[in-house]
Amino acid sequence: MKPIVFVFLCLITINEVLAETIDASANNGTLGFVGEHAGMVFTGTFTRWQAELVLPPAVNPKISAEFELNSATTGDSVYDSTLPEGDWFDVENFPTATFESESIVLGTDDKFEVIGNLQLRGKSLPVEFILHRKDGKLTAEFDIDRLAYEIGAESDPDAEWVSQYINMRLTISTST
Amino acid sequence: MTRLRYNGFAIALHWLTAIGVLVLIGSGLYMVNGDISKADQFSLYQWHKAVGVIVLNVVLLRILVRLLCKPPGLPESLPQLHKHAAKLGHFLLYLLVIMIPISGWFMVSASPFGLPTFVFVDWIKWPHIPFVERNKTVESIANWTHMILAYAFICFICGHILAVIHHHRHHRLNLLKRMWWSRDK
Ligand code: HEM
Repeated sequence: MKPIVFVFLCLITINEVLAETIDASANNGTLGFVGEHAGMVFTGTFTRWQAELVLPPAVNPKISAEFELNSATTGDSVYDSTLPEGDWFDVENFPTATFESESIVLGTDDKFEVIGNLQLRGKSLPVEFILHRKDGKLTAEFDIDRLAYEIGAESDPDAEWVSQYINMRLTISTST
Repeated sequence: MTRLRYNGFAIALHWLTAIGVLVLIGSGLYMVNGDISKADQFSLYQWHKAVGVIVLNVVLLRILVRLLCKPPGLPESLPQLHKHAAKLGHFLLYLLVIMIPISGWFMVSASPFGLPTFVFVDWIKWPHIPFVERNKTVESIANWTHMILAYAFICFICGHILAVIHHHRHHRLNLLKRMWWSRDK
Protein backbone atom coordinates (compact mmCIF):
# COMPACT_ATOMS: atom_id res chain seq x y z
CA MET A 1 0.00 0.00 0.00
CA LYS A 2 1.33 3.40 -0.97
CA PRO A 3 2.03 5.63 2.06
CA ILE A 4 -0.29 8.34 0.77
CA VAL A 5 -3.19 5.87 0.55
CA PHE A 6 -2.38 4.60 4.04
CA VAL A 7 -2.40 8.13 5.50
CA PHE A 8 -5.66 8.83 3.75
CA LEU A 9 -7.26 5.68 5.13
CA CYS A 10 -5.97 6.52 8.61
CA LEU A 11 -7.47 9.99 8.38
CA ILE A 12 -10.84 8.57 7.39
CA THR A 13 -10.74 6.08 10.26
CA ILE A 14 -9.73 8.76 12.78
CA ASN A 15 -12.51 10.95 11.50
CA GLU A 16 -15.05 8.14 11.87
CA VAL A 17 -13.79 7.39 15.37
CA LEU A 18 -13.93 11.04 16.36
CA ALA A 19 -17.30 11.57 14.69
CA GLU A 20 -19.47 11.98 17.67
CA THR A 21 -22.94 10.47 17.65
CA ILE A 22 -25.43 12.49 19.61
CA ASP A 23 -28.33 10.51 20.96
CA ALA A 24 -31.30 12.69 21.67
CA SER A 25 -34.68 12.03 23.21
CA ALA A 26 -37.19 13.71 25.51
CA ASN A 27 -34.61 13.20 28.29
CA ASN A 28 -32.14 15.70 26.87
CA GLY A 29 -34.29 17.65 24.47
CA THR A 30 -37.69 18.90 23.43
CA LEU A 31 -39.52 18.41 20.20
CA GLY A 32 -42.39 20.83 20.06
CA PHE A 33 -44.91 22.38 17.73
CA VAL A 34 -46.71 25.70 17.61
CA GLY A 35 -49.78 26.59 15.61
CA GLU A 36 -52.98 28.58 15.76
CA HIS A 37 -56.50 27.41 16.33
CA ALA A 38 -59.48 29.76 16.15
CA GLY A 39 -57.02 32.62 16.27
CA MET A 40 -55.46 31.33 19.50
CA VAL A 41 -51.88 30.08 19.67
CA PHE A 42 -51.42 26.49 20.84
CA THR A 43 -48.15 24.82 21.71
CA GLY A 44 -47.38 21.18 22.24
CA THR A 45 -44.57 18.69 22.61
CA PHE A 46 -43.93 15.09 21.74
CA THR A 47 -43.03 13.22 24.89
CA ARG A 48 -41.71 10.09 23.13
CA TRP A 49 -39.13 10.55 20.41
CA GLN A 50 -35.55 9.71 19.68
CA ALA A 51 -32.94 10.97 17.28
CA GLU A 52 -29.41 10.17 16.31
CA LEU A 53 -27.18 12.91 14.98
CA VAL A 54 -23.77 12.62 13.39
CA LEU A 55 -22.73 16.08 12.35
CA PRO A 56 -19.98 17.41 10.09
CA PRO A 57 -17.00 17.24 10.01
CA ALA A 58 -17.81 13.49 10.08
CA VAL A 59 -17.58 12.13 6.56
CA ASN A 60 -21.04 10.62 6.66
CA PRO A 61 -23.09 13.12 8.59
CA LYS A 62 -26.60 11.98 9.26
CA ILE A 63 -29.65 12.80 11.29
CA SER A 64 -32.40 10.30 11.78
CA ALA A 65 -35.32 10.73 14.11
CA GLU A 66 -38.52 8.99 15.01
CA PHE A 67 -41.38 10.32 17.08
CA GLU A 68 -44.55 8.74 18.37
CA LEU A 69 -47.53 10.74 17.24
CA ASN A 70 -49.78 9.73 20.09
CA SER A 71 -47.29 11.25 22.52
CA ALA A 72 -48.29 14.78 21.44
CA THR A 73 -49.51 16.81 24.40
CA THR A 74 -50.67 20.40 24.43
CA GLY A 75 -52.05 20.78 27.95
CA ASP A 76 -55.52 21.29 26.49
CA SER A 77 -57.72 18.19 26.77
CA VAL A 78 -59.79 19.10 23.70
CA TYR A 79 -56.69 19.28 21.48
CA ASP A 80 -55.04 16.23 23.08
CA SER A 81 -58.13 14.20 22.46
CA THR A 82 -58.53 15.43 18.86
CA LEU A 83 -54.93 15.16 17.58
CA PRO A 84 -54.82 11.32 17.43
CA GLU A 85 -58.10 11.22 15.44
CA GLY A 86 -58.33 9.88 11.87
CA ASP A 87 -58.34 13.21 10.06
CA TRP A 88 -55.49 14.61 12.16
CA PHE A 89 -52.48 12.43 13.08
CA ASP A 90 -54.42 9.21 12.45
CA VAL A 91 -52.25 7.40 15.00
CA GLU A 92 -54.08 4.15 14.48
CA ASN A 93 -52.74 3.83 10.95
CA PHE A 94 -49.59 5.92 11.30
CA PRO A 95 -48.27 5.64 14.84
CA THR A 96 -44.84 7.14 14.13
CA ALA A 97 -43.30 9.90 12.08
CA THR A 98 -39.69 9.84 10.93
CA PHE A 99 -37.06 12.22 9.68
CA GLU A 100 -34.06 11.15 7.61
CA SER A 101 -31.47 13.63 6.45
CA GLU A 102 -30.17 13.66 2.88
CA SER A 103 -27.45 16.24 3.27
CA ILE A 104 -25.93 18.18 6.12
CA VAL A 105 -23.55 20.99 5.30
CA LEU A 106 -21.58 22.90 7.90
CA GLY A 107 -22.07 26.60 7.24
CA THR A 108 -20.60 29.53 9.11
CA ASP A 109 -21.07 30.23 12.84
CA ASP A 110 -21.68 26.59 13.76
CA LYS A 111 -24.78 26.37 11.64
CA PHE A 112 -25.64 23.19 9.81
CA GLU A 113 -27.79 23.34 6.73
CA VAL A 114 -29.91 20.23 6.84
CA ILE A 115 -32.00 18.84 4.01
CA GLY A 116 -34.04 15.69 4.48
CA ASN A 117 -37.41 14.02 4.35
CA LEU A 118 -40.09 14.12 6.98
CA GLN A 119 -42.50 11.22 6.84
CA LEU A 120 -45.77 11.99 8.54
CA ARG A 121 -49.12 10.28 8.16
CA GLY A 122 -47.70 8.03 5.45
CA LYS A 123 -46.36 10.89 3.32
CA SER A 124 -42.69 11.67 2.93
CA LEU A 125 -41.94 15.25 1.96
CA PRO A 126 -38.70 17.23 1.75
CA VAL A 127 -37.88 19.69 4.53
CA GLU A 128 -34.97 22.05 5.04
CA PHE A 129 -33.79 23.71 8.20
CA ILE A 130 -30.79 25.25 9.89
CA LEU A 131 -29.47 23.48 12.96
CA HIS A 132 -27.73 25.94 15.26
CA ARG A 133 -25.06 24.86 17.72
CA LYS A 134 -24.66 27.32 20.55
CA ASP A 135 -24.10 27.24 24.31
CA GLY A 136 -24.13 23.45 24.54
CA LYS A 137 -27.40 23.23 22.64
CA LEU A 138 -28.56 22.28 19.20
CA THR A 139 -31.68 24.08 18.07
CA ALA A 140 -33.75 24.11 14.92
CA GLU A 141 -37.12 25.25 13.76
CA PHE A 142 -39.05 24.93 10.55
CA ASP A 143 -42.60 25.12 9.29
CA ILE A 144 -44.57 22.22 7.94
CA ASP A 145 -47.58 22.57 5.71
CA ARG A 146 -50.19 20.39 7.46
CA LEU A 147 -52.37 20.26 4.35
CA ALA A 148 -49.47 18.85 2.29
CA TYR A 149 -49.53 15.94 4.76
CA GLU A 150 -53.35 15.88 4.60
CA ILE A 151 -53.59 16.64 8.30
CA GLY A 152 -57.08 17.99 8.93
CA ALA A 153 -57.69 18.00 5.17
CA GLU A 154 -61.30 16.90 5.52
CA SER A 155 -62.16 19.00 8.56
CA ASP A 156 -60.47 22.23 7.67
CA PRO A 157 -59.15 22.30 4.09
CA ASP A 158 -59.18 26.12 3.95
CA ALA A 159 -57.33 26.58 7.24
CA GLU A 160 -60.36 28.44 8.54
CA TRP A 161 -59.83 27.05 12.05
CA VAL A 162 -56.32 25.60 12.27
CA SER A 163 -53.34 27.36 10.71
CA GLN A 164 -51.97 25.70 7.59
CA TYR A 165 -48.37 26.03 8.75
CA ILE A 166 -47.26 24.43 11.99
CA ASN A 167 -43.93 25.45 13.39
CA MET A 168 -41.79 22.55 14.59
CA ARG A 169 -39.16 23.31 17.22
CA LEU A 170 -36.28 21.13 18.29
CA THR A 171 -33.84 21.71 21.15
CA ILE A 172 -31.17 19.21 22.19
CA SER A 173 -28.81 19.71 25.07
CA THR A 174 -25.35 18.45 24.10
CA SER A 175 -23.50 19.42 27.27
CA THR A 176 -23.20 16.49 29.64
CA MET B 1 -109.07 12.09 45.13
CA THR B 2 -107.28 12.39 41.80
CA ARG B 3 -104.01 14.27 41.56
CA LEU B 4 -104.25 17.69 40.02
CA ARG B 5 -100.57 18.33 39.57
CA TYR B 6 -97.46 16.50 38.45
CA ASN B 7 -95.20 15.07 41.13
CA GLY B 8 -92.47 17.35 42.50
CA PHE B 9 -89.64 15.58 40.74
CA ALA B 10 -91.39 15.66 37.35
CA ILE B 11 -92.03 19.39 37.88
CA ALA B 12 -88.33 19.96 38.62
CA LEU B 13 -87.35 18.06 35.48
CA HIS B 14 -89.84 20.05 33.38
CA TRP B 15 -88.42 23.42 34.42
CA LEU B 16 -84.85 22.19 34.18
CA THR B 17 -85.56 21.14 30.58
CA ALA B 18 -87.27 24.46 29.88
CA ILE B 19 -84.26 26.48 31.10
CA GLY B 20 -81.82 24.18 29.29
CA VAL B 21 -83.75 24.35 26.04
CA LEU B 22 -83.97 28.14 26.11
CA VAL B 23 -80.24 28.39 26.76
CA LEU B 24 -79.55 25.93 23.92
CA ILE B 25 -81.76 27.70 21.40
CA GLY B 26 -80.18 31.05 22.29
CA SER B 27 -76.60 29.74 22.21
CA GLY B 28 -77.24 27.62 19.09
CA LEU B 29 -78.64 30.51 17.06
CA TYR B 30 -75.97 32.91 18.28
CA MET B 31 -72.99 30.64 17.69
CA VAL B 32 -74.09 29.71 14.16
CA ASN B 33 -75.43 33.08 12.97
CA GLY B 34 -73.85 35.68 15.28
CA ASP B 35 -71.00 37.94 14.22
CA ILE B 36 -68.44 36.63 16.72
CA SER B 37 -64.74 35.78 16.73
CA LYS B 38 -63.64 32.26 15.88
CA ALA B 39 -62.36 31.79 19.43
CA ASP B 40 -65.73 32.74 20.96
CA GLN B 41 -67.55 30.64 18.39
CA PHE B 42 -65.38 27.64 19.25
CA SER B 43 -65.93 27.95 23.01
CA LEU B 44 -69.66 28.48 22.52
CA TYR B 45 -69.81 25.27 20.45
CA GLN B 46 -68.12 23.32 23.26
CA TRP B 47 -70.44 24.91 25.80
CA HIS B 48 -73.55 24.22 23.71
CA LYS B 49 -72.54 20.56 23.33
CA ALA B 50 -72.00 20.17 27.09
CA VAL B 51 -75.36 21.76 27.99
CA GLY B 52 -77.02 19.75 25.20
CA VAL B 53 -75.73 16.48 26.64
CA ILE B 54 -77.02 17.44 30.09
CA VAL B 55 -80.44 18.27 28.64
CA LEU B 56 -80.46 14.95 26.75
CA ASN B 57 -79.90 13.10 30.02
CA VAL B 58 -82.51 15.15 31.85
CA VAL B 59 -85.01 14.40 29.08
CA LEU B 60 -84.27 10.67 29.21
CA LEU B 61 -84.81 10.73 32.96
CA ARG B 62 -88.00 12.69 32.40
CA ILE B 63 -89.37 10.12 30.00
CA LEU B 64 -88.57 7.40 32.53
CA VAL B 65 -90.36 9.30 35.30
CA ARG B 66 -93.30 9.89 32.97
CA LEU B 67 -93.54 6.18 32.20
CA LEU B 68 -93.23 5.14 35.84
CA CYS B 69 -95.44 7.77 37.48
CA LYS B 70 -98.86 8.35 36.01
CA PRO B 71 -99.31 12.05 35.20
CA PRO B 72 -102.49 13.82 36.40
CA GLY B 73 -105.40 13.50 33.97
CA LEU B 74 -106.32 16.50 31.82
CA PRO B 75 -109.00 18.77 33.38
CA GLU B 76 -112.54 17.46 32.84
CA SER B 77 -113.77 20.86 31.68
CA LEU B 78 -111.46 20.77 28.66
CA PRO B 79 -113.29 20.09 25.38
CA GLN B 80 -112.52 16.67 23.90
CA LEU B 81 -110.82 18.12 20.82
CA HIS B 82 -108.50 20.19 23.02
CA LYS B 83 -107.65 17.09 25.04
CA HIS B 84 -106.59 15.28 21.88
CA ALA B 85 -104.66 18.31 20.67
CA ALA B 86 -102.90 18.63 24.03
CA LYS B 87 -101.89 14.97 24.03
CA LEU B 88 -100.58 15.16 20.47
CA GLY B 89 -98.80 18.46 21.19
CA HIS B 90 -97.10 17.04 24.28
CA PHE B 91 -96.08 13.91 22.42
CA LEU B 92 -94.52 16.01 19.65
CA LEU B 93 -92.72 18.18 22.19
CA TYR B 94 -91.19 15.03 23.71
CA LEU B 95 -90.26 13.77 20.27
CA LEU B 96 -88.55 17.03 19.37
CA VAL B 97 -86.75 17.43 22.67
CA ILE B 98 -85.25 13.98 22.23
CA MET B 99 -84.58 14.11 18.46
CA ILE B 100 -82.77 17.47 18.59
CA PRO B 101 -80.01 16.48 21.05
CA ILE B 102 -79.67 13.06 19.41
CA SER B 103 -79.19 14.69 15.99
CA GLY B 104 -76.61 17.03 17.60
CA TRP B 105 -74.86 13.99 19.05
CA PHE B 106 -74.81 12.32 15.61
CA MET B 107 -73.47 15.53 14.06
CA VAL B 108 -70.45 15.77 16.38
CA SER B 109 -69.82 12.01 16.24
CA ALA B 110 -69.75 11.96 12.45
CA SER B 111 -67.78 15.19 11.99
CA PRO B 112 -64.26 14.62 10.60
CA PHE B 113 -63.03 17.15 13.18
CA GLY B 114 -63.41 14.45 15.84
CA LEU B 115 -63.69 17.02 18.62
CA PRO B 116 -64.58 15.44 21.96
CA THR B 117 -67.60 16.48 24.04
CA PHE B 118 -66.44 17.24 27.55
CA VAL B 119 -69.28 17.97 29.96
CA PHE B 120 -67.59 21.03 31.50
CA VAL B 121 -64.84 18.96 33.18
CA ASP B 122 -62.07 16.87 31.60
CA TRP B 123 -63.09 13.73 33.41
CA ILE B 124 -66.60 13.60 31.98
CA LYS B 125 -66.16 12.82 28.31
CA TRP B 126 -69.40 12.05 26.51
CA PRO B 127 -68.62 9.30 23.97
CA HIS B 128 -69.15 9.54 20.23
CA ILE B 129 -71.77 7.36 18.56
CA PRO B 130 -69.86 4.42 17.05
CA PHE B 131 -69.71 3.50 13.34
CA VAL B 132 -70.35 7.01 12.03
CA GLU B 133 -66.93 8.59 12.51
CA ARG B 134 -65.73 10.82 9.66
CA ASN B 135 -68.97 10.30 7.81
CA LYS B 136 -69.81 13.52 6.02
CA THR B 137 -73.19 12.26 4.77
CA VAL B 138 -74.35 11.43 8.30
CA GLU B 139 -72.90 14.71 9.52
CA SER B 140 -74.79 16.82 7.01
CA ILE B 141 -78.09 14.94 7.47
CA ALA B 142 -77.73 15.32 11.25
CA ASN B 143 -76.83 19.00 10.90
CA TRP B 144 -79.84 19.67 8.71
CA THR B 145 -82.16 17.66 11.01
CA HIS B 146 -80.83 19.48 14.08
CA MET B 147 -81.49 22.87 12.51
CA ILE B 148 -84.95 22.14 11.04
CA LEU B 149 -86.17 20.43 14.22
CA ALA B 150 -84.78 23.27 16.35
CA TYR B 151 -86.79 25.79 14.31
CA ALA B 152 -89.90 23.55 14.54
CA PHE B 153 -89.29 23.29 18.28
CA ILE B 154 -89.25 27.08 18.64
CA CYS B 155 -92.73 27.16 17.01
CA PHE B 156 -93.97 24.31 19.23
CA ILE B 157 -92.69 26.00 22.40
CA CYS B 158 -94.54 29.18 21.39
CA GLY B 159 -97.66 27.06 20.74
CA HIS B 160 -97.23 25.35 24.13
CA ILE B 161 -97.06 28.70 25.95
CA LEU B 162 -99.92 30.19 23.90
CA ALA B 163 -102.09 27.14 24.72
CA VAL B 164 -101.56 27.74 28.46
CA ILE B 165 -102.54 31.42 28.01
CA HIS B 166 -105.53 30.47 25.81
CA HIS B 167 -106.92 27.98 28.36
CA HIS B 168 -106.44 30.53 31.10
CA ARG B 169 -108.43 33.14 29.20
CA HIS B 170 -111.12 31.04 27.55
CA HIS B 171 -111.61 28.09 29.87
CA ARG B 172 -110.66 29.72 33.17
CA LEU B 173 -108.03 27.05 33.69
CA ASN B 174 -104.77 27.84 35.43
CA LEU B 175 -102.72 25.03 33.95
CA LEU B 176 -99.51 26.47 35.34
CA LYS B 177 -100.58 25.23 38.78
CA ARG B 178 -100.26 21.66 37.48
CA MET B 179 -96.59 22.30 36.79
CA TRP B 180 -95.62 24.18 39.94
CA TRP B 181 -94.86 22.91 43.42
CA SER B 182 -97.49 23.25 46.14
CA ARG B 183 -98.42 21.53 49.40
CA ASP B 184 -102.02 20.85 48.28
CA LYS B 185 -102.80 18.12 45.74
C1 HEM C 1 -82.50 20.17 23.35
C2 HEM C 1 -81.27 20.22 22.96
C3 HEM C 1 -80.72 21.14 21.90
C4 HEM C 1 -81.29 22.26 21.31
C5 HEM C 1 -82.65 22.88 21.58
C6 HEM C 1 -80.31 22.76 20.35
C7 HEM C 1 -80.50 23.88 19.58
C8 HEM C 1 -79.64 24.31 18.57
C9 HEM C 1 -79.88 25.40 17.67
C10 HEM C 1 -81.10 26.30 17.69
C11 HEM C 1 -78.81 25.48 16.84
C12 HEM C 1 -78.61 26.47 15.69
C13 HEM C 1 -79.14 25.87 14.42
C14 HEM C 1 -78.84 26.72 13.20
O1 HEM C 1 -79.29 27.88 13.14
O2 HEM C 1 -78.15 26.20 12.30
C15 HEM C 1 -77.88 24.43 17.19
C16 HEM C 1 -76.68 24.18 16.57
C17 HEM C 1 -75.79 23.18 16.96
N1 HEM C 1 -75.97 22.26 17.96
FE1 HEM C 1 -77.58 22.10 19.16
N2 HEM C 1 -79.20 21.95 20.38
C18 HEM C 1 -79.41 20.94 21.31
C19 HEM C 1 -78.55 19.92 21.64
C20 HEM C 1 -77.31 19.70 21.06
C21 HEM C 1 -76.42 18.62 21.40
C22 HEM C 1 -76.68 17.52 22.44
C23 HEM C 1 -75.31 18.75 20.60
C24 HEM C 1 -74.07 17.89 20.53
C25 HEM C 1 -73.62 17.07 21.43
C26 HEM C 1 -75.52 19.92 19.76
C27 HEM C 1 -74.63 20.38 18.84
C28 HEM C 1 -74.86 21.44 18.00
C29 HEM C 1 -73.90 21.88 16.99
C30 HEM C 1 -72.51 21.26 16.70
C31 HEM C 1 -74.50 22.95 16.32
C32 HEM C 1 -73.90 23.78 15.17
C33 HEM C 1 -74.43 23.32 13.85
C34 HEM C 1 -73.77 24.07 12.71
O3 HEM C 1 -72.59 24.39 12.79
O4 HEM C 1 -74.47 24.32 11.73
N3 HEM C 1 -76.75 20.48 20.08
N4 HEM C 1 -78.41 23.72 18.26
